[in-house]
Amino acid sequence: MSLWFLLSLAFVQHAFYAVSAVAVAAGAVGYFVVLRRQAFAAHAIGHVGFAGAAGAVLLGLAPVIGLLGFCLVAGVLIGLGGATLSDRDAVVGVTLTAALGLGVLFISLYSGYADATYSILFGQILGVTWGDVTLVASVSLVVVAALSLIYRPLLFVSVDPSSAQARGLSERVLSLIFLTLLALTTVVAIQIVGVLLVFSLLVAPAAAAEQLTNRPLRALALSCAIALVSSWLGLFLAVWWGGPVSFWITALASSTYVVARSRDAWRTRQRATRVA
Amino acid sequence: MSAVEFRDASVVRGGRLIWREANVTIEPGSINVVLGPNGAGKSTLLETVLGLVPLSDGSVRVFNEPPARGNARVGYLPQSRRDSDLRVTAREYVGLGFDGTRFGWGRDAASKTKAVRDALALAGATVFADRPLYALSGGQRQRVALAHASVFHPALLLLDEPLAALDLAAQGEIVDLINLFRDTTGAAVVVVAHDLNPLAPIVDQVLWIARRQVRSGPLDDVVNEAVLSELYGHAIEIVVTPRGRRVIVGLEEEFAHPHPHPHPHSPTGAHAHAGATSGHVDEETHAHFAEYYEGDA
Repeated sequence: MSLWFLLSLAFVQHAFYAVSAVAVAAGAVGYFVVLRRQAFAAHAIGHVGFAGAAGAVLLGLAPVIGLLGFCLVAGVLIGLGGATLSDRDAVVGVTLTAALGLGVLFISLYSGYADATYSILFGQILGVTWGDVTLVASVSLVVVAALSLIYRPLLFVSVDPSSAQARGLSERVLSLIFLTLLALTTVVAIQIVGVLLVFSLLVAPAAAAEQLTNRPLRALALSCAIALVSSWLGLFLAVWWGGPVSFWITALASSTYVVARSRDAWRTRQRATRVA
Repeated sequence: MSAVEFRDASVVRGGRLIWREANVTIEPGSINVVLGPNGAGKSTLLETVLGLVPLSDGSVRVFNEPPARGNARVGYLPQSRRDSDLRVTAREYVGLGFDGTRFGWGRDAASKTKAVRDALALAGATVFADRPLYALSGGQRQRVALAHASVFHPALLLLDEPLAALDLAAQGEIVDLINLFRDTTGAAVVVVAHDLNPLAPIVDQVLWIARRQVRSGPLDDVVNEAVLSELYGHAIEIVVTPRGRRVIVGLEEEFAHPHPHPHPHSPTGAHAHAGATSGHVDEETHAHFAEYYEGDA
């Protein structure tokens, strides 16, 4: 089978469109996840979504409905409960365990074959339909548009909460909006890479970008670019060579971070030797 | 028109009275230092001006208007910031002070670039403007924070502990900078501080909070051992350096209270010095603080 034949298949093309839309949204939202030190919240929202999906399967609904519902509720809970950084960690932890407990219950109650929940955990990019693509693309578009509208205030409140408050911004409102956007992004990212690997798009590209530039808008664009390239290459390698797509995407995005960190460490050492 | 005017102002926070019946005026173009022990309500005073904390009684007017969050005439440098771990350049951070509160896509790139450049230049931060905040020293970060707080040309600048955790040289630089800022912009400046010594050369009015009361007056009213000892709840001595500078020092316990067998040269306690505005550099005075300023008074 030639590569061109593989790439012309409908399911591969669907995967390509879906992965592109998700990568842009996740790369952009991910920058703020890393800047705001909210990786744990992102992690928790994904796992809460898993419980929601399991619940939906149990009730005979589409998993994505449970996923969406639970992720949004988790986002709001974390936003409302975690005003301060120390509160936030505890609220996230409690939300996470409570939801995972529910997930275990739902799975044990479900008598059928838990195929749908398995794909929630590890992603099922090559199974996306045209309908999924439209959903994923519209959600990503909404997320990116909303993020661009609140970009400056969100950046201000993330970088310097006290003076942003004094200048009239509401940290709580911005945090709630952001966590809602994060929940939406998580829902679509889970469709591609699954709950367990959602960090590969949501945190790794942004963390790498933050190592490479200190200018927020550039870091944000770079984060999107790294997420896009990892996703495209990952999809390509999986189709061409085999292996799960989510594995490839994760491997590529994490390697980018490792390379960026090493470059940073190397440059610091260079500077140190020059001074010495 | 005064920059700030407190009239019989009281604050209750979490059911606890912080201070009451404050009557204080901050004049435009003046440098005001707020002194007081930990927990006296110094930062709270700034927060009432910012509209972050409401008064429980009395009134405060900021440029003859009630205080409100987001007042474009008020700049604020908070005490707690997260700049030590930020991978964001100083220039970007100062830019957020200019248009960080604006939603939407609109940009005003030209005037922003100029305002940011000017603020950085005035703060002496141009050289390291493109370095990330985490890589700067404490003094450099404080310069950047000052540029951030003043980039939109506020007529009143509130600085919460801008000298905390700085070494003597950096403290002196920030004090000079505050003075320069006041002289070039004509803005009123309110500085919360723990230590009056480094700020003494530039201060116009001192606000001191002790025993839940806010009082104000010129430097000489405060640099008085009785007032200072009450203020800090700890014996204070004022010494005059050979160059004629008055320096405030805390006395060690053994000198603060009458000794059972007084040594002929020991100070007998803070109250014995009440009213005196100067003393001598006593060999036996164990200063808690080093002499801060070597320069001329």
